[in-house]
Amino acid sequence: MTRIKLENVTKVFGNTIAVDNVSLEINEGEFFTIIGPSGCGKTTTLRIIAGFELPEQGKIYFDDQDVTYLKPYHRNTAMVFQNYALWPHMTVYDNIAYGLRLRKVPEEEIKKRVKWALELVDLEGVEKRYPLQLSGGQQQRVALARALVVEPNVLLLDEPLSNLDAKLRVEMREEIKSLQKRLKITTVYVTHDQLEALSMSDRIAVMNKGKVLQIDTPTNLYFKPNSLFVASFLGRSNVLEGRVTGTLDNSMVRVYVDQLDKELIIYTHGGIETGKVHVVIRPESFELVEDLVDRDNIIEGIIEDSMFLGDKIEARVISGPAKLTIYLPNKTIVRQGQKVMLHIPPDRMVALPA
Amino acid sequence: MANATNTTDHYKIRDLLLVGLIGAVLYYIGVNYNIPDLDLIAWILAIIIPISMYKRGLDVEKLKYSFSLSFLSIVSYLYVFMVLLLRLPGIPKAISILLTPIVVVSFVYSVDTYLKKRKTARQEIKLPFSKKVKATLYSLDTLVIAFLVIGTVMLVVFLLAPVLIMLWNAFITPPGTPFYENFKTIFTTRKYIRLITFGESPWSFQYIGDEKVLVITGVNYGVLLNSLINSVIVTTVATILGIIVAFVLARYRFPGKTFLRILALVPLFVTPFINSYVIKILFSASGPISIITKNLFGFAVQIDSLAGVTIAQIMAFYPIVYLNAYASFLNIDPSMEEQAENLGAKGFKLFSTVTLPLALPGIAAGSIIVFIFSLEDLGAPIVFQERRLMSYLIYSGFTSETGVISPELAALGFVMLFLAVVSFLSIKNYVGMRSYAMISRGGRWKPRERKLGIKGLLVVYLILLPLIIWTAMPQIGVVLLAFNMMSPTGFYIHPEQATPTYFLELFQNPNIFIYIKNTITYALVAVFIATTLSIIIGYAVSRVKIRFITSALDALSTIPIAIPGLVIALGYYFFFATLFKGTPLDPTSGPTVFQAWIVLIIAYSIRKLPFVVRSVFAGFQQVHVALEEAALNLGATRRKVVFGIVLPLILAYIISGAIIGFIYISTEVSTSITIGSLRSDQAPMTYYMKNIYIGGQLAGIQYVAAMGVLLILFQLLAILIVILGLKQSYAFIGA
Repeated sequence: MTRIKLENVTKVFGNTIAVDNVSLEINEGEFFTIIGPSGCGKTTTLRIIAGFELPEQGKIYFDDQDVTYLKPYHRNTAMVFQNYALWPHMTVYDNIAYGLRLRKVPEEEIKKRVKWALELVDLEGVEKRYPLQLSGGQQQRVALARALVVEPNVLLLDEPLSNLDAKLRVEMREEIKSLQKRLKITTVYVTHDQLEALSMSDRIAVMNKGKVLQIDTPTNLYFKPNSLFVASFLGRSNVLEGRVTGTLDNSMVRVYVDQLDKELIIYTHGGIETGKVHVVIRPESFELVEDLVDRDNIIEGIIEDSMFLGDKIEARVISGPAKLTIYLPNKTIVRQGQKVMLHIPPDRMVALPA
Repeated sequence: MANATNTTDHYKIRDLLLVGLIGAVLYYIGVNYNIPDLDLIAWILAIIIPISMYKRGLDVEKLKYSFSLSFLSIVSYLYVFMVLLLRLPGIPKAISILLTPIVVVSFVYSVDTYLKKRKTARQEIKLPFSKKVKATLYSLDTLVIAFLVIGTVMLVVFLLAPVLIMLWNAFITPPGTPFYENFKTIFTTRKYIRLITFGESPWSFQYIGDEKVLVITGVNYGVLLNSLINSVIVTTVATILGIIVAFVLARYRFPGKTFLRILALVPLFVTPFINSYVIKILFSASGPISIITKNLFGFAVQIDSLAGVTIAQIMAFYPIVYLNAYASFLNIDPSMEEQAENLGAKGFKLFSTVTLPLALPGIAAGSIIVFIFSLEDLGAPIVFQERRLMSYLIYSGFTSETGVISPELAALGFVMLFLAVVSFLSIKNYVGMRSYAMISRGGRWKPRERKLGIKGLLVVYLILLPLIIWTAMPQIGVVLLAFNMMSPTGFYIHPEQATPTYFLELFQNPNIFIYIKNTITYALVAVFIATTLSIIIGYAVSRVKIRFITSALDALSTIPIAIPGLVIALGYYFFFATLFKGTPLDPTSGPTVFQAWIVLIIAYSIRKLPFVVRSVFAGFQQVHVALEEAALNLGATRRKVVFGIVLPLILAYIISGAIIGFIYISTEVSTSITIGSLRSDQAPMTYYMKNIYIGGQLAGIQYVAAMGVLLILFQLLAILIVILGLKQSYAFIGA
């Protein structure tokens, strides 16, 4: 159980800043995900934690120990690589035993531990096989076992599911999550897949162009992004323009939304008292209501068209000059041209300074 | 000057040449009619106008991307520089004015792009230099640093230093003459360049005994031009031949195709000297061609001198192009050609507009190897006794009575090195820019193959088959000679006299066996050094991320391909004669003191390093960095990673690299017969093989042929081990 702390870390490759003044803290036993588009610096951040890269600036701490200059082989982290990096010339057993042998664990003990690790990842009886004889999913499990068997302080996962097919990915997602919970090991997970990030993580950091834009729990990140980038990177959203007309308290403001010709009460990250704002509303934030009861945040609109997507219905609603995309439960029956009234809970949308 | 690329190009490259031509003509008129002002005007014309053309928009991209033009511009640079330095008058100067516009434009273009780069680089992130160094050093372990240092030191000391010392010697001139005197001699005296000949005919009818013989000797324009003419002709013919054979074999299906494919590789079996000897017989007055011409026209045909060298080299080297072209044709994604056909291209149009351009980079890579090999080849010139070639002249310096090599030969060696390296680099540049033959969606495809029609079959069986058999004849002849089934003086086959005596005596006669023993010992030691060095350099190059160091290391370890062996020999001669004066390593210390074996082993391991490096490096590229990082991450040190993970993983690559290296070292000629001649009892096999022609004495020819057979056996064995045993590809020269 280790706490990880990055302090003003900057890493430069030639003329590009891969990681730009990043500070973050990862708690003991936390499942922490770094997400971002390719080239955003998420993998570099992970490799800095592993010790493969030395940042030009900044410090890295494991608990209270400064590990910035510690070589990768002294950090006791365990990394699972995107391509698994299983040594093709060694059997599964030798692959998993490698780290233990380096730690001079007696062979008897190694046998037990390898067995334990393979049981952990639900893959028994493949000890004598070579990696290339295994399927992608099995290789993935071996890589996990190899990482976990050395009882690392930190588990580092670099897009480990990206080489698997869709169905297997969902399966492994759940398994990795439950494994992590069971072992209570501090985990840093790098991905560009928002579903993976949202479903597995305790907290998520969104990166873009080397900078960390927001660190928060999945729910908060999703409904209360702090920038348009985060909003558009995770899921779909409706972005409307408006201006602040008053504040209710620290985190709620009244916003007059131009396109809706309506005043809404909206969550804010604070610091906005006047001026223009972008209002970000997720398609799921809309609730269909029967009649115009005396409530705030009710808007009227007409269904332009709708699509049945299986688990939900996606509808396009015209409200004034605004065109909104909304999701409705799949049991809802809507017709084209139907008038609807929609309620948006204040804490299910966010106003960002424009 | 961004408009140079953005707007339409007002001027083409041929306009540049036109300007140069006008300048050259003006100058020439000025010289002949004694108008000194025209000289100045010509120069102004050749410098100012191209610059203004460049500013108004010139097709510079073409200069950069066409390999003949980029080659031309590099050669022009040096040519103009040389003419100005040596103050050569007359036609050489007129030619330099003709070339000046290209030089000017490519110079302005390079400066321009450099400045643009500087501009973008200025926006670079400001970080203290020490922090950058620290971050870089962190990623290196002691082991990697040791690799870097050892690799660099070895290449600098044993590759760069000898060449530089040779160059330094080239500038040693008799007192009272300018420092460039040696080069001036090479470029101005009739020994090297004679543009006006005395009406010697390249061929003539002679009577040998009472037989009428058409003797084809070729031209003589002086040592330098002879070498160039020979190499250009050899390269051109070998390229055309190679492309045709490759295309037919790659794209058509016909009975006996596999047989032809294998037969076409036979000339690649290296049998120094003796194959040229057989070629000489084939083209002699008693050869198979003469038998035909005697019956048809009543005279025999004999090819000799320069013409003989050219023919021998074409026959020996064309398969290098063939192999490259064959691989290139197979690498073309069929959909590219299908798309062209779909749009209406077919036949020769399809070939010349799509197929050939796509395959050209690979073909060019093969051609340039042929050019360099032809330039430095000693086998054919020695057998055909053609002394008026650069290679022969340099070689003869080592066999002179005194054993001391003149600075003039050092200068000649530098000229040869220069020709080889410049052409190699410009082709490499071109191939690098154009290696699109491989670009396509991944996946394997079925190569396009068509059945041949009747006409095609006739062409294959009546022209291609005899041609391929003919080019395989030297190796076949070597085997026949070795077992005494062919007369050593003419093309007379008598299988009934077959005997293994000569072959067996190689091992029984200690005076002959010593050479075989020498070769095998040296090759084993040299291969060990080269392989170790390859691992060290290969790992450093593929893993260290310091651009300028690794690219320099990479370049240094591949450049020996382009360095003529004779230049290595010259370089080592001067290197050891200068730095080890008075020790047994000094080549001038005499044929009983000089320890040639040490020099030979080092020379071999450096000269044939590229072939080993290439294989080992391919191995390192197969190992994903993550495989190493996974081990580091689990607690392994770099030493454990390299020796426990990486090397075992690429063992097959290392062994096949070593085997290929062994073959190239045991068949090496240039340094063996030059350095070897300074201490004959320590000389290798190829030195003995060379001696077949000393003083016209022919008694030992069958022994030499037997050695050739032994070498063929080595090569066969190597191919079998590499391809069947290690499942690797056997890298033939240049392939």
